[in-house]
Amino acid sequence: MEKSSGLQHRPGRSLWVCALLGAAGMAAVDEIVFHQILAWHHFYDRSTPSVGLISDGLLHTAELVGLVAGFALFADLLRRRALSTAHAWAGLFLGLGGFQLFDGIVDHKLLRVHQIRYGVDLLPYDLAWNGAGLLLLAVGAVLTVRARR
Amino acid sequence: MPGAHHPQVALVEWVIAAGAAAAVTAYLLAAARLRRRGDAWPVLRDLSFLAGGGALVWALLGHLPGGPFTAHMAQHLVVAMAAPLSLVLGRPLTLLLRVLPPRGTRRTLLAAARARPVRWLLFPPAAAVLDVGGLWLLYRTPLAASHHPLAQVHVLLAGLLFTFAICQLDPVRHRWSLAWRGLTLLGAGAAHAVLAKSLYAAPPPGAVYAATDLHTGSQLMYYGGDLVELALAAVLATQWYRATGRVLRRSTMATRRTVSAE
Repeated sequence: MEKSSGLQHRPGRSLWVCALLGAAGMAAVDEIVFHQILAWHHFYDRSTPSVGLISDGLLHTAELVGLVAGFALFADLLRRRALSTAHAWAGLFLGLGGFQLFDGIVDHKLLRVHQIRYGVDLLPYDLAWNGAGLLLLAVGAVLTVRARR
Repeated sequence: MPGAHHPQVALVEWVIAAGAAAAVTAYLLAAARLRRRGDAWPVLRDLSFLAGGGALVWALLGHLPGGPFTAHMAQHLVVAMAAPLSLVLGRPLTLLLRVLPPRGTRRTLLAAARARPVRWLLFPPAAAVLDVGGLWLLYRTPLAASHHPLAQVHVLLAGLLFTFAICQLDPVRHRWSLAWRGLTLLGAGAAHAVLAKSLYAAPPPGAVYAATDLHTGSQLMYYGGDLVELALAAVLATQWYRATGRVLRRSTMATRRTVSAE
């Protein structure tokens, strides 16, 4: 990556910057919608192992830093007129789906940070959650293939 | 802490508040002197420093809402995180170095700012350990229940040191890279979030709080910390954006020169 070559499309960078924005954005949506508005996710779940608490803290801070860094990198791409729109959309969907699936499988199931909702049969919720993640990832994959053509 | 009413703690809080008021007065006088001399000094810096000092006085002497733990956390957020950020954004060291006469105090201050131990104190991970590490000691050892009058002083100074090291706006000899500062912010933020969540489940040893107070206070610590971390990240992102912008402008100008020379 040469920094001096302004005014040239940078597809790879467009893709990963928007994937970062997508993942951090999805984490923010999770925090706002499921923790705060619906209050389905619990702030603290007593069955969480300490490794789950630590990874949750790291991921939560990474979401904040990633969101700000993503915006700065995106603004930089625009300033250089280096944004490849097709790759940007592909990256965004890959990021959205990637985080949703990671959250559904690693956070909810492996690390047991918290469950989607409490006092209900979890199976349909888990299927819908991870299915949505897979769908978003699939859209991202299709868009990536189309962007590369 | 419930120790807010201990006479020694109250005395220390009055001393810090008086110090903050004096610092703000000195800052505004110095900035005014600079402007009279014809130097440019953005008003936003004055406002930022004023807001930081004002917030400090309010958090130390004012009446904070909520139960004892929630009120303590609100105080902690202002004294250790928000006020230091606001004060550091005012670039007090730069102002001081500009306004002092070249010899005497200025020379000593500059030598101190460039001394080797200061360089390591401003190494972002070291500053983070002093800041967040101290917080873990405060909340996870019996220290919290001892109401040590100097705890508040440590929290403020460590907060200032951490913010100063992360933002790196004032002139010091060694500049740590964006990667060091960004990764430190990430680690410190994570440690802060984990501590906040652990306080939700268990209060500091030796302290007793109502469950709702504990839950509100720990969530205030978690989400309040987020806001300050977002602001710190925005400071770093702005620095990066401006620095790359300068490089970009130089390289496009250089290209134009070569093209027109051909």
